[in-house]
Amino acid sequence: MSECDFMRENMPLLLTESLDPARRELTHQHIERCAACSDEWAGYRETWQFLGALPEVEVPAHVKTQFLANVEPPLRRLAPAESRRHVTRWLAQAAAVVLVASGAFYAGHRSKPIELKEQPASLNSYSIAESRVLPARLVSPNIEGRPDIENVSFVDSNPSDPDIGLSFDITSHVTVTGRPTDKSMVRLLRYVLENKNRAASPSRSRAIDWVRTLYSRPENAEPEIAEALANVLRNDSHEGVRIKAVETLNRMPGGASADTRGALIEALKSDPNPAVRIKAVEALANLARSGATFDSATLDTLRQKAVQGDENVYVRVKAAEALSSIHP
Amino acid sequence: MIRSKTPALCAAIALLMSANAFAENLISTEKIEKLFPAESADSVWIDNPFGNIEVVGSDSPGLAITAIKTVTGPDRASLKDGSEQTVVSFEGDRNVRLIRTILPRVHNGPWTSSVSYTLRVPRTVHVKIASRIASRIRVANINGNVTVNMFSGAIILDGVAGASIINTTNGKVLYVYRQKPSTNAQIQAVNADIDVVVPPDANFNWIADTLRGDVVTNLPVRAEFLGSAFRGTVNAPGGPTIAMQTLLGNIRILGAGLDTRLVQSVRESVTEPPQRPVTMQSLLMRPAKRIQLPISGGPFDFSASIADVEVGEVRGWAHVQTAAGEIKLGIVYGDCTVTSNGGPLDLGDIMGTVMASTDAGDVLVRSARMGGKVSTAGGIIRVLYTGGPLTLQSGGGDITVRQAAGSINAETRSGDINLTADPLQRTQHIQAHTLQGNIILNVSPHFGAEIDATVLTSRPDANAIRSDFNGLTIKREQVGSKTRIHATGKLNGGGDRVELFAEEGDIHISNVATSPVTVMSPP
Repeated sequence: MSECDFMRENMPLLLTESLDPARRELTHQHIERCAACSDEWAGYRETWQFLGALPEVEVPAHVKTQFLANVEPPLRRLAPAESRRHVTRWLAQAAAVVLVASGAFYAGHRSKPIELKEQPASLNSYSIAESRVLPARLVSPNIEGRPDIENVSFVDSNPSDPDIGLSFDITSHVTVTGRPTDKSMVRLLRYVLENKNRAASPSRSRAIDWVRTLYSRPENAEPEIAEALANVLRNDSHEGVRIKAVETLNRMPGGASADTRGALIEALKSDPNPAVRIKAVEALANLARSGATFDSATLDTLRQKAVQGDENVYVRVKAAEALSSIHP
Repeated sequence: MIRSKTPALCAAIALLMSANAFAENLISTEKIEKLFPAESADSVWIDNPFGNIEVVGSDSPGLAITAIKTVTGPDRASLKDGSEQTVVSFEGDRNVRLIRTILPRVHNGPWTSSVSYTLRVPRTVHVKIASRIASRIRVANINGNVTVNMFSGAIILDGVAGASIINTTNGKVLYVYRQKPSTNAQIQAVNADIDVVVPPDANFNWIADTLRGDVVTNLPVRAEFLGSAFRGTVNAPGGPTIAMQTLLGNIRILGAGLDTRLVQSVRESVTEPPQRPVTMQSLLMRPAKRIQLPISGGPFDFSASIADVEVGEVRGWAHVQTAAGEIKLGIVYGDCTVTSNGGPLDLGDIMGTVMASTDAGDVLVRSARMGGKVSTAGGIIRVLYTGGPLTLQSGGGDITVRQAAGSINAETRSGDINLTADPLQRTQHIQAHTLQGNIILNVSPHFGAEIDATVLTSRPDANAIRSDFNGLTIKREQVGSKTRIHATGKLNGGGDRVELFAEEGDIHISNVATSPVTVMSPP
């Protein structure tokens, strides 16, 4: 099998986001430098876009049955070898394409003519396009699977309008618009912040900057965002991202939940970056000054920090100052 | 035989209806007495989260305890609930007698409670006390060992001859020796002041350690500082060791009957001459101060252990050094050197060269007209304007330069670097290096440069080099498990070298037409 054949075999999987990142990158690179495959790829995409624009029409049951009866035997003949798994997937994809196309063709000739008109995006009819804008209210707040999200950017085209936009790449470029407090918007942001394996550090870093600006306003206070930042503070290996997370947590309105406090305490205890520890202890000191009550474990940690001889002196002083404001 | 006056026999329950206009709370008190005669314990442990404790040693045998339980609540039901859930327990055996107040870990009722204990114990027993908050814990006339752990309140040890260990956070510690100290004592606090009174002819080794407070005495001492810790001998060498540590409080040792006006700081008596270079060790022994000054008429030279420094204007050079604290300087007419072992730096318009470093904390420089060097071991660096070559280093944190009219060398271990070249600059040398993060370089449309940009990434599909300018050649190659994306080329026909390196991040060379910031001239 030539390289071109191999890459063309990958194209349907590329279209349906089924390729792993390494093969996806390889296929993209091949398409960029091979004119023939580039044309082939353009054809695939054109077909996909055309299919996405078609209205969904129910295929009559007898047509579907007959079609599946014709398709299934060859599929069964294929050995389920591990090395050929992508071929079966490709065939399944192709079968689905043919099914949809034949259904559409049948419906088009047996029923009234197709009218291509703009339809509002809905959860049920998702079409692949280069760039899509989806209102947050039409996006499910439950993110299924663990999609790779890249090139996250934020759009606030009209500052006087409370609506905002969150843009990102999956296979196409998607912009979700809505209010900062829309559940889907919050969940998307949470996903971007928390999934360090699925969202690159530049995206997380930018997301935190944006969260700080947006969610530090009292009217946008969102406990889920605070929880996400707490998880970033706990788990992110990127020190710059953790610094931003703890700084943003310090500015979040409405006090801190037990989870947030726990993250601050853990950061104060063991974060290797002194800036993170400083910001964590400052956040705890702010909480103490605002009259928050602390449990004995928190008091113990603050006390240990205050007397820890090898800790940065500023961190020790801030821990002591926090303790002086606490009335258990 | 234990003779017990149980609560049922001797409790006097009084409900006092309060006519308090602000909080219509009811208060109930209950008195509980217990007597353990003749063969009493070697040790007495008292665990009481809230309430005063008084333990007095006596030559009489037996252990006599009086506990007064006080419950406050808005109604009778709450008082009843609070009283039932606040349990005074007498446990242990003749070796260790434990007296404790048992409270629910969490209670939702609108009541609060405390128990005050008064104990008469044989003088020879060892005493251990654990408490969270009390107005006062007093232990007097005890020859045994004494241990006190509490969070907040006054601790008074009066005539305790045995070894003692005190741990507290807030409040005050007063230790009065009626006889010359003969056993070791260790007092550790965070914010509490520590006062110790000894007979004037007592001999002992003295260790005192406070970061922000002072160490004073009216006794003859020979001493030296090791960092923030003072080690010395009082009167003649030898004897037990009395160690005192408080982070933010003061430490005083006074001779009983001596003139208290003779007290002096031991820091001042051993402070180094100012011409010697100030090291971290010598810095910590300097008294802590808080400086707030609108204008310094000439050069400003200041060093202290822990200090928050705020000066509006320095009409000359500025040199500030602290072990910890926030430093804020407005306008400095000359060179500015600021060194902190921890704490944020906020510098305004620096006419001369700026040399600013902190071991931890953010740094903000509004204007570094002659450039210089800014570093933090961990924290965010923001520079609004630089007019000269500027080196920026962060051990972890973002670096932002809003307008650079001089060459920039920026390096961070983890964080984004965002640099904007002065729009009037045709070209300038720029180096930016981040081991985890993005680099954004904003330059004007006519900016000329020879670009050498590298992204090293394990996610080549996610990280990229983007340029708003034409003329860059981008190559990708595999380096071990990572991909190196390398962009080279000339912007606008070339110019000074611009080296950008980002690991696990993006590089974006952006074409931005911005207006130059106007740096105000000093009046």
